[in-house]
Amino acid sequence: MGKLLSSPKILVIAIAAVALLLVSVAGGALGASFGLGFLGGPIPFISIPAERVAFIGSYPLLNSTIMFWFGGLILIFIAWRAGRNVTDVPSGWQNFMEMIYDFFNNTVDGVAGGTPKAGRRFLALVSTIFMVVVIINWVGILPGVGSVGRIETIEEWVHHHIEDLEAAEHEKHPEYNDTQVHQLALIHLLEEHGDDTFVAFDGMFVPLGQGEQARVPLKHIVTFTDDELHHLADEVKHGEDISHDPVFERIEHDIHEGVVKEAFTYDAGGSSETDYNFTGQTAGLLVPYLRGASTDINTTLAIAIVAMFTVQIWGFRALGVRGYGGKFLVNPISQGPIATFVGVLEGFGELTRTISFTFRLFGNMFAGEILLIAMAFLLPLVGIIPFMGLELFVGVIQAYIFAMLTLVFGVMAVASHGDHDSHAEDH
Amino acid sequence: MEALGITLQQLLTQLVSFLILFFLLYKLAYGPIMGMLDSRAQKIKESLEAAETARLEAASSAEKVEAEIAEARVEGQKIVAEARDAAAKLRDQEQERAREEVETMLERARAEIGREKDSAVEEVRKEFASLAITAAERIVEGSLDPKSHSSLIDKVLEEGLSERKN
Repeated sequence: MGKLLSSPKILVIAIAAVALLLVSVAGGALGASFGLGFLGGPIPFISIPAERVAFIGSYPLLNSTIMFWFGGLILIFIAWRAGRNVTDVPSGWQNFMEMIYDFFNNTVDGVAGGTPKAGRRFLALVSTIFMVVVIINWVGILPGVGSVGRIETIEEWVHHHIEDLEAAEHEKHPEYNDTQVHQLALIHLLEEHGDDTFVAFDGMFVPLGQGEQARVPLKHIVTFTDDELHHLADEVKHGEDISHDPVFERIEHDIHEGVVKEAFTYDAGGSSETDYNFTGQTAGLLVPYLRGASTDINTTLAIAIVAMFTVQIWGFRALGVRGYGGKFLVNPISQGPIATFVGVLEGFGELTRTISFTFRLFGNMFAGEILLIAMAFLLPLVGIIPFMGLELFVGVIQAYIFAMLTLVFGVMAVASHGDHDSHAEDH
Repeated sequence: MEALGITLQQLLTQLVSFLILFFLLYKLAYGPIMGMLDSRAQKIKESLEAAETARLEAASSAEKVEAEIAEARVEGQKIVAEARDAAAKLRDQEQERAREEVETMLERARAEIGREKDSAVEEVRKEFASLAITAAERIVEGSLDPKSHSSLIDKVLEEGLSERKN
């Protein structure tokens, strides 16, 4: 150690690393409790559904779909470069793709029986699933994905959330007209979400240095009291027009303006109370332009459906309709009721496999995303580095698991019933 | 469902997106690359088989060459032996003939020499006879008739010659 530090270059690097770590600790969540935390921003709103970023006509374009297409384009480019003129002596991308295909070719043959070409029917889907999942996992953790976005203003937020409430209100009171329904829904929205917090943006940036908990509750953006809301609700229910009521007009104005109206005291749930004054700053939520496709459950479900649907096709093609269908629908009279029950369980098994596929990939990648966010708050600047590496690793592992499970389910599906039993006895 | 954000619209969007992605990946990469991998595997298998056949062929042809070489060696040795025999025989014949020739030549020479000697002896005898007669003439001075005494001289010479011969 002493010998290492005697080299001036290494010494400088070591000092810089320690200094960076100290800055990181002081600027992060730990430092915030000592009044530092100058690098900490408010924890972003973690939304399980992927966010809409644009509309193409009436089609809502999700940020996760963009990343899916982006990853897909990269893959198509690589495939095009690799396959445009294949030669006996491979080079460049052809080498790369050959490596992947060769690896999976050997794997599927090994799993499907050990003889050459035994698993060829599985190869195309298994290798494609692996490559697609890897690429969407990896592009999903690129810097900027999930942290660069648009500010969703309070007005837009209200617009998104009021639709469901309007529908519910309309169902409950079909006698009300549209205006009344809208007004009641708005009042309910404020009642329900008055304590929801929003980020007070610093211009176009997420504010740093106010501590990670510094978020503004809705009732400090749209000013109202519970009494005012009750009064308005009663008036609407009595059939009075509140459109020109000064309180309601103020509420609508505040929603439209969407800025923080007053300073407030944030109670951290202990002795420490902090005053925050964000008055005049635009409040809203960060809607990332980009989001890893595998952190959207639609993507993982779609791939799982393709995988399990193809597994059924493999089963039917290998064993025929009677042979494969006979695994699930067993005659209770000739085979006995227990066999029938097992068959039904097998059928449910196919469904649960689809769901476990979906949530395994989604859960791992979503958790990874949250892990990266958490590290960015605990140890800004440096904390994310080792976890980026971890996420790269997890991305490959999850893709490999997805592909291998597809292969294993496929091999199980094409095995005839007798084979299946003898295999079960082997283990 | 609402709390989780599952909506039919978004579910269908992701479903269709995934299916389109699957289709495009299948067309762009899976088809060509798996075709290539399969054809490459086939090619490798074929070339391995071809190499095996070539190896076997090479082995068998090497064996054949070996056998041929052995055969050729045996044959060569036979030829050499034959040639050696023939050469020996030829040499023997040649020697025989040479000896015979030499012998005939010697014979002839001997015969020639004999003839020469005979004729020389004859000449000497004649010379001697005439010399003896001349000498005797001188001694006896005419008391001798050459005609009547020549037979006597011949007889003496004959005897002398036969004595020398023996």
